[in-house]
Amino acid sequence: MAISSLKPVKIYIHGPSPNPWKVIIILEELGIPWESESVPETGLKTEPFISLNPNGRTPALIDPNNDGTTLWESGAIIDYLIDVYDKDHTLQYTSFPEKHITRCWEHFQMSGQGPYMGQKGFFMYFHPEKLPSAIERYDKETRRIIGVVDAHLSKQGTPYLVGDKVTYADLMFVPYFKLFLPVICPDLNTKEWPKFDAWQEKLVARSSVQTVLAKIQVEKEKKKLPGK
Amino acid sequence: MATARTPDITLYTAQTPNGIKISIALEELGIPYKVHKIEISKDVQKEPWFLEINPNGRIPAITDTFTDGQKIRLFESGSILEYLAEQYDTEYKISYPRGTREYYETRNWLYFMNAGVGPMQGQANHFNRYAPERIEYGVKRYTNETRRLYGVLNKQLSTSTSGFIVGDHISIVDIAHWGWIASAGWAGVDIDEFPHLKAWEERLAARPGVEKGRHVPDRHTIKETLKDKKLQEKISNEARTWVQRGMAEDAKK
Repeated sequence: MAISSLKPVKIYIHGPSPNPWKVIIILEELGIPWESESVPETGLKTEPFISLNPNGRTPALIDPNNDGTTLWESGAIIDYLIDVYDKDHTLQYTSFPEKHITRCWEHFQMSGQGPYMGQKGFFMYFHPEKLPSAIERYDKETRRIIGVVDAHLSKQGTPYLVGDKVTYADLMFVPYFKLFLPVICPDLNTKEWPKFDAWQEKLVARSSVQTVLAKIQVEKEKKKLPGK
Repeated sequence: MATARTPDITLYTAQTPNGIKISIALEELGIPYKVHKIEISKDVQKEPWFLEINPNGRIPAITDTFTDGQKIRLFESGSILEYLAEQYDTEYKISYPRGTREYYETRNWLYFMNAGVGPMQGQANHFNRYAPERIEYGVKRYTNETRRLYGVLNKQLSTSTSGFIVGDHISIVDIAHWGWIASAGWAGVDIDEFPHLKAWEERLAARPGVEKGRHVPDRHTIKETLKDKKLQEKISNEARTWVQRGMAEDAKK
């Protein structure tokens, strides 16, 4: 299907919450038209949304160009978009072993970066009582994850996680690192990890990411959340 | 593309719910593999040679040789399962053909496991078993979230006609969940609250592939352990010591 003739896909977001924006970066990169609907906290675990995602979390996506295919979990949605719409392989490798290595980093984002940074945010801002050992646990894990990326980029000597080409896996790390990190670790200076820092800068400079960051800012202002 | 070829797989693993995902998948596929046991209590997973395989310093990881003779190193259980399905599951024993509805649905649930059940149940284990102090709130937060996720699975299975999470047969999604669900009690979750999930767990446990794969690299003893309070305390205390030491060492880096 030619991208220009596509109907907009529908993406369900939850204000500035990071996971749906990973998907939107990919939509922007691939030039797929999209429209979003922000689901309020009270609407996540009830109909109609719970029928779109039985887990009651954003994002979920409906693709009217493909019999209304409905997907949830940001990683699964991104795999679908790459599979169906990245026909020119702009954000993926088809070669071995790069194709499989990209997935390693995608899963590391999904099961490592997202959940643990999320817990740090929770104990910093949403939990009514200060629990220093819980905050410390997730602060250490956040720093460890940054260190893993930095050490990998140093060792490989490449600008991106997999070789010289940007992939969907690189882009998936952006919302948590660029927007969430300064909020949950206000004292952290990413310059301590120079390769990591340079990698983030390169990703943030992309027009898709710039577009998305501006839209997230709008959502943040609506919710008056902590952080710039 | 699935290509029939000779596997040259070495599995780097330990007796954990994430580790046995891969050995169970390999047994269900019926393909040979070598096992390299990683002593996680001695931080072998953080040694330089292992970081060459997984820069994140976690098990499981695998190495394999491709048709062109190149070595490949894979990490993250989800990524490894997708690789095995794509490279070796030519008969769709544990996966579904690319592009089918079930193929995409498999992905939904695989990430649900790896970004949801695994990390949250892991945190429940931490606050229940390994934390240096008892933080009631931490225990409750993660045990409740694990229970909520179990409820989502239980509901999905209540409407499944095949008895599996996706489609009409076992898949990498069932395999990925099994080790975690089988150790529900370790995280303070009572599996009896989730009858469909409990029946599913027992159905999987009865499969020869699951039975064989769960005992890699050591015997899978969680079910016996959960019947013995004293043994549970002993294991928690031992694990607490090295979990805390590992966290302190990570923080120095």
